[in-house]
Amino acid sequence: MKDVTKLILEDGAVQDRRIYWDQDIYEQELEQIFARAWQFLAHESQIPNAGDFITTRMGEDNVIVARQPDGKIKAFINSCPHRGNVVCHADTGNARAFTCAYHGWAFGLDGELATVPLEHDAYYDAIERPRYAMHPVAKVESYKGLVFGTFDAGAPSLRDYLGDMAWYMDTFLDVPGGIELLGPPMKSILNCNWKVPVENFIADGYHVGWAHAAALKAIESPLSPLAGNQAYDVNSGLQVATRGGHGFGVIWDAAAAIHPDGGAYREWLAKRTPIMRERLGEWRSRFYNGHWDASIFPNCSFLYGTNTWKLWLPMGPHNIEVWTWTLVEKDMPAELKQMMVATNMMTFGTAGMLETDDGENMEQCTGSNRGWVTRRGKLYSGMGQVREGVHAELPGIVGKGIVCETSNRGFYRRWAELMSGRSWEEISREPHYAPNREVA
Amino acid sequence: MNAPTQIKTPANPRYVDRDTLFEVERFLIREARMLDEERFREWWQTQLTEDIHYVLPVREIRMRADKKPVGSNPGAFVFNDNYAMLDMRIRRLETGLVWMEDPQNYIRRFVSNIDAAWADVDGEVDAWSNFIVYRNRRQRDETVVWGTKQCRLRKVDGQWKLAGRTILVDQRVVLDKNLYFFL
Repeated sequence: MKDVTKLILEDGAVQDRRIYWDQDIYEQELEQIFARAWQFLAHESQIPNAGDFITTRMGEDNVIVARQPDGKIKAFINSCPHRGNVVCHADTGNARAFTCAYHGWAFGLDGELATVPLEHDAYYDAIERPRYAMHPVAKVESYKGLVFGTFDAGAPSLRDYLGDMAWYMDTFLDVPGGIELLGPPMKSILNCNWKVPVENFIADGYHVGWAHAAALKAIESPLSPLAGNQAYDVNSGLQVATRGGHGFGVIWDAAAAIHPDGGAYREWLAKRTPIMRERLGEWRSRFYNGHWDASIFPNCSFLYGTNTWKLWLPMGPHNIEVWTWTLVEKDMPAELKQMMVATNMMTFGTAGMLETDDGENMEQCTGSNRGWVTRRGKLYSGMGQVREGVHAELPGIVGKGIVCETSNRGFYRRWAELMSGRSWEEISREPHYAPNREVA
Repeated sequence: MNAPTQIKTPANPRYVDRDTLFEVERFLIREARMLDEERFREWWQTQLTEDIHYVLPVREIRMRADKKPVGSNPGAFVFNDNYAMLDMRIRRLETGLVWMEDPQNYIRRFVSNIDAAWADVDGEVDAWSNFIVYRNRRQRDETVVWGTKQCRLRKVDGQWKLAGRTILVDQRVVLDKNLYFFL
C-alpha cells in the first residue's frame, strides 16, 4: 500500500497534487474509501413500491438498489456471478426478477439466484445456488429517507458515520412530510478528479463572487452584489467541518436568494419556520432559512436552497460522471416544486448558468497535474485556519464566514485517515483535530 | 405554446408544399449560422416568438416494456425555458465575465434531414431535423453532440419565427461538461 502520510499536511490545509492525478493513489481510494465508506444510493421516494429499482455505482462498482416485497431496500453488485456480465441495463424500472442476457440466470429482487437454465440437464442439479447470489452491498441503511450503502460489514452505522452532519441535515430532513428527490437525474461528464467538485461544494464560498460573476449579474438575485467580490460580510455566514469529512457553508437568510423569482419560496419558508423552530430550536431554524453548500464524505454534494443534489461518480483518476437531482419538500405545492426544479436546472443543471462556470475550472485544476514537475507541487487551502475553532452551541469545527476553507480541511483530514488503511475502530480512538479557540 | 417532450411523426402528416419547405429549410440553416456567429441577441429579438417554449428533456434508459412517458416528471429537463429565461442566458454571455468563453469557443452546427408538416394550429408548421454540433475549445478540448429536434414555426408579419422547440440529445450521459449553447 502506498504511504500516504505525507500527502496531506498542516491539518488538511496542504495537499500533494499527486492525489488528483496518480493512478496508484486512485486505486487505493477505490479500496480504502469507496470499498469502505457509506455512499449515497437513492432517496426512498425514487423506489416507493415493491420491485422498484434503480441502478447506480459505488466507486466503480455497478449496483442495483431494489425495494423488496417487505418494504426493505437491498443493494447488490450488478454483475452476474456466472461469467460476470452486467445483468440490468436500465436506469430504473419495476422488476420481479433480474435476468442475465448471456445465459439466462435469473435473480430475485434480493439478488439471490432464482433460476438457472438447464439446471437439471447440464448441472445435474449439483449447483449450490446460494453461493451464486449477486454480491450484496454489506449494509444498506436509510437516514430519514436518504439511502446509503457500504461494502464494509465492519463500518459504523450510517447514523454514526454521518455524525454531527446528521444533526445539521435534520434542518431540512425533519420538515413535516420529509423531502424527496425529483429526477430522472441529469448525467454528464467532467474530465476532473472526483475530489475537486467535492471540495468546491463543501467549502468554496471563495469562488462564488469571481467564477460566477456573469451568472450572478444575469440572474438579478439578492446574491448579485457578490459578483466580482464587490460585497462580502464575514458575519453573513459560517462554515462547519464535522468529524467524518462532511461539512458545509451557510449564508444566512439566503435559501431563496438564487431563485430569480423567489417570492413563493420565501413565503413557504416563512410559513414553515415556526414549525422548524419548535421542532429543532433557534439555531436550526436559522439554518433552515440559510443557503448551504455542502458535501457528505466521500462523493455526494448538495446546495440546500438552490436545491440541487449531486453525485460525483469516479471513472478513473481524471474523469467523473455528474448526476443531478432536485431536492424538494414533499409537502410543497406542485407549482413551487416546479419552480424549484426550474431554478436548479437553470443554475446547476447540465446547461446551468453556474454549473458551466464550475466544470471548466474543475477540469483545468485536474489537467494541469499532468505535468511531472507540476504534480510534485502542493496546493493550499489554509484560508481562515487561524480563526476557526469550537463553538458553544454548534458541533464540529466552525469557521467564520462563507469565504473560508474550514470544511475543505476537514474533508482532507478524513481522506488521509481512511487512506492510511487503519480500521474504523483505530480511527475513532485517535485524538481529533481540535483548535483551542472559541468562535462566536 | 407548450413544446412536447417527445418527438413523433403524426399518423397522417400534412406535409408542406415545396415553397414552404424551402422557407423552413432556410430558416433553420440561417438560424444555425446566426448562432455559430454568436449573434445571440439578434437571434432572441428576431427569430423567436415571445411565447416560445424551448425544451430539452432528460431521457432515461428503460426497458422497452416500461412505457412510463419521458419527461413526465418535473425534474427532467436540461432546458425548459421561456422567452425571459433565454434572455437571461444571453445576458450572462453579454456580461463579458464568462471566463470559459474567453478565449472564444468554436461551435459549428450542422442541420440535416429537414422535413415539415402543417401543425394542428392554422398557419403553423412542425419541422423536424437532425443535428450535429461540434465544439472545440482551448487547445484540444473537442466534443460532439448529436440529436434531433422538432420545431414549431409560426409566420409573424410575413416572417417565420420559432414558437417551440423540443430537442433530444442521443446521449444518456451527456459526453460533455455542459450543454450551455443553443441547439
